[in-house]
Order: sequence, then structure tokens, then C-alpha cells
Amino acid sequence: MTIDWWTLGLQTINVVVLVWLLARFLFRPVSRIIAERQAAAQSALDAAKAAQAEAEAANAQAKSEAAEQASARVAQLSQAQEAAKQESARLLTKAHNEVAALRAQTEAEIAKEREAAQAQMAREAGVLASDIAARLLSRLPDSARLEGFLPGLIEAVRKLPEPTREALLAQGKLALRAARAPSAEETTRIEAQLSEALGGPVTVDTSVDESLLAGLELDAATAVVRNHLRADLDRITAEVTQDD
Amino acid sequence: MDNPLTLEPLFHLGPVPITSPVVISWVLIVSLTLGSILLTRNLSLKPSKTQTVLELFVTTIEAQIQDTMNRAPGPYRALIGTIFLFVLAANWSSLIPGVEPPTAHLETDAALAVVVFAATISFGIAQRGLKGYLATFAEPSWVMIPLNVVEQITRTFSLMVRLFGNVMSGVFVVGIVLSLAGLFVPIPLMALDLLTGTVQAYIFAVLATVFIGAAVGDEPARAPSDPSDKETHQP
Repeated sequence: MTIDWWTLGLQTINVVVLVWLLARFLFRPVSRIIAERQAAAQSALDAAKAAQAEAEAANAQAKSEAAEQASARVAQLSQAQEAAKQESARLLTKAHNEVAALRAQTEAEIAKEREAAQAQMAREAGVLASDIAARLLSRLPDSARLEGFLPGLIEAVRKLPEPTREALLAQGKLALRAARAPSAEETTRIEAQLSEALGGPVTVDTSVDESLLAGLELDAATAVVRNHLRADLDRITAEVTQDD
Repeated sequence: MDNPLTLEPLFHLGPVPITSPVVISWVLIVSLTLGSILLTRNLSLKPSKTQTVLELFVTTIEAQIQDTMNRAPGPYRALIGTIFLFVLAANWSSLIPGVEPPTAHLETDAALAVVVFAATISFGIAQRGLKGYLATFAEPSWVMIPLNVVEQITRTFSLMVRLFGNVMSGVFVVGIVLSLAGLFVPIPLMALDLLTGTVQAYIFAVLATVFIGAAVGDEPARAPSDPSDKETHQP
């Protein structure tokens, strides 16, 4: 067996050249494109991870904001409830005060109306009593309508203060109102008893006032002495009204 | 039929005799180079079917290198891949009538073995340094130095002879049967030659990988930084 060394050398060179050519035109380009695809895939994977991280961060932020909004809503709700409670209490107090004021006003008006009604009733009762007394007195003799009240009038004059009595005495002629016109005899007797009570001579100027029902009323400048049924009825009516 | 053990020059380039294996190898080189240029001219990130086949081929070679050498396949990819492609193309060239495969001649197989031998030494020295590479001959003991030196020569010689014997015998068998039986009888034997040629190309490439891997040793554990150096698995 012989070896062709030229062929061996040329084939060796051929193999080396082929290694270089295929490395240049086959293996490097293919390996490069594989590496680029792997890099692109890795880049896409990194981008996806970054996007996922960003989405998770955004999600966390959204949750945080939602929690903050919920907390703020609860706080606002609590604040609104507190304000509503305070406003309700204020309105309730105001309503109570207004009701109390209205009630007091109403009670005052009712009391006033009641007083007015009582006064009206008293007046009507006085009128009624006057009518009754007038009808009852009409059954008595006329002398009883004056003479029965004369002692009381004299007694009242006696009890007047001294300066008053002196003023009456100094006046001389006293105005006398009577339930009916006294007779001359009755006038004389009245003047006599008044002169005795005042300690000096006086005369009377008699006028008729049927509203007195029965009795007399001495009407002077410094004093008025009443002793008649009308004054009694008025006093009784006043007392009854005060008692109510 | 020519004697495969003797080569007659087809022509001379000056003092250099050009034989048929050289010419056929030139044709194969041109064909493989032009085919590579045509196939890789439109590579894109969205691969076509052709690009997918190319990438599958390259990643398969890388996976084979990775599994065999336990190293990043980048520095060895072109050499191993070229050896496999060239041997395969040379073996299959026997299908063309009148063409005798270059690997059926001892010079071509010797040239391939010489390239592997030189690559083994150069990669071993580049990886370990001259002293470190020479120290591997004393493993596991200095007593083994003569045996390891002889092994370097004999395994290269066996690499050469294995390929030469298989391809040359196939060519011989087909030629003998063709001369005795007729035109279509050798077809099954030619089909068998296709399988044999493929297996021999694979064996040659794998043995070259094993030899180089033994010379450079295992790669220390590290984090992959270069995408081209990352381990690639194919089903």
C-alpha cells in the first residue's frame, strides 16, 4: 500500500478549508440566529415579567386606593352620621322649646280666657243676683230699702277718720244717693243722725239711684261712704271671683 | 475498476498531481458551501421549514457535543459538524454513477484523521496549556506514558482505517456484484452503503468528539453567559 502524500496534503487542506467555509456560511449564521431567537424570547419573557410586575404593582396600588377610599367613605359616613345626630338633637331641642313656648302661650291664653270667662260669669252672676235681690226687695216694704241701711251708714261715718269727718262737716251739704226718693220725714231723720255722727249740723242733697237696689251712699268730695245692696253684691262678686 | 489502494493523477497543477478524491472533494466543498449560502441567506427569527431543519441539525450536533464532552459546544461545533457533513457527503457520493467516494481512498481518511489529531492536540493545549496537556499522558500514573502516547497514534490510525475499510469494502462489493450480476442487482447493496456511510460519518464525528473531549477534560461548573454556549437538548 502506498500513500499519495500530495493527495493527503491537499485533502487535509480541503478539510481545513471546508471547516472554515462551513463555519463561516453555515454554523455561525445558524447559531447566531438561534442565539438571537433565544435572546428575543428571553427579552419577551423579561418584558412579560416586567409587565406582570407592573400589573401587580398597579393592582396593589388600586387595592390600596380602594382601601383608602373605603376608609375615607367610612369616615365621611361617620362624620355625616355624627352631624345628623347633632342636627337632630338641635332640631329636637328647638322643637321642644317651641312646643314648650307654644304650650305656655296656649296655657296663658287659656288662663286669660278662663279669667275672662269667670269675670263674665261673675258679672252675669252679679246681674243675676241684682235681679234676684231686686225681685226679693220688691216684696219688702219701701221703708226697709232705706231705714234698714241707715244705721249701718251712720256707723260707717262714725268710723271715718277725724279729718275726714271734719271735712264732711265743713262741707255742710252732703250729696246722698238713695235707692228710692226718701220722704221728708226720712230726710230729716237722715240729716239728724248724720249731724249727730259728724258732731255738727249738715244737710243732704238726695238723688235717686235705683241701681243701688236698697240703701244709701254718701258721696262727698273727700270720702264716699256706701251702705247699699249694690255695694254688697259687688263686694261678694269680687270675693267670689278672687276665690276662683 | 481501479485499485483503491493506488491513485492515478487526473492532471497536474505544476508539480502537484491532482487525483480524483481531491477533485471530488473540491466539488463537495463547493456544493456544501453553496448549499450553506443558499440555505442561510434568509435566516429570520421566525424560521421557515428549511431553517427549522437547519437549526435542528445544528442544535443536534451541539447537543451531541455537550453530552459527550460536557462542555459548551461553541468552539467545537464547526469542526465536528463539518467532519460529519463532509464524511456523509463523501460516502453518499458513491450514489452518483462514475463517482468514487473520496473516503474510499486512504489519503482522504488519513487527512480527516490528521485534522482530528491536530485538533485534539491544539484544543488540549489551548484548554490545559502545554504542560497541563502533556501531564495528561502521565494519568493515572507515569507508567502509562508510553501506552498513552501509543494510544494517541493508534486511535488516530484506527479512526482512519475504520472509515477507509468500511467505505472501500462497500465500493468493492458493489463493483464486484455489478460486474457479476447486472445493472439493478447492486441496488440493495447501495442502499446498505447509504446506511453504512451514515453510520460511519456519525461514528467518525462522535469519535472525534470523544478524542477532543478527552484532551480538553471536563468543564468546571459555571453559570452560562454566552447564549451560544448554553446547553441545548433535542428530543
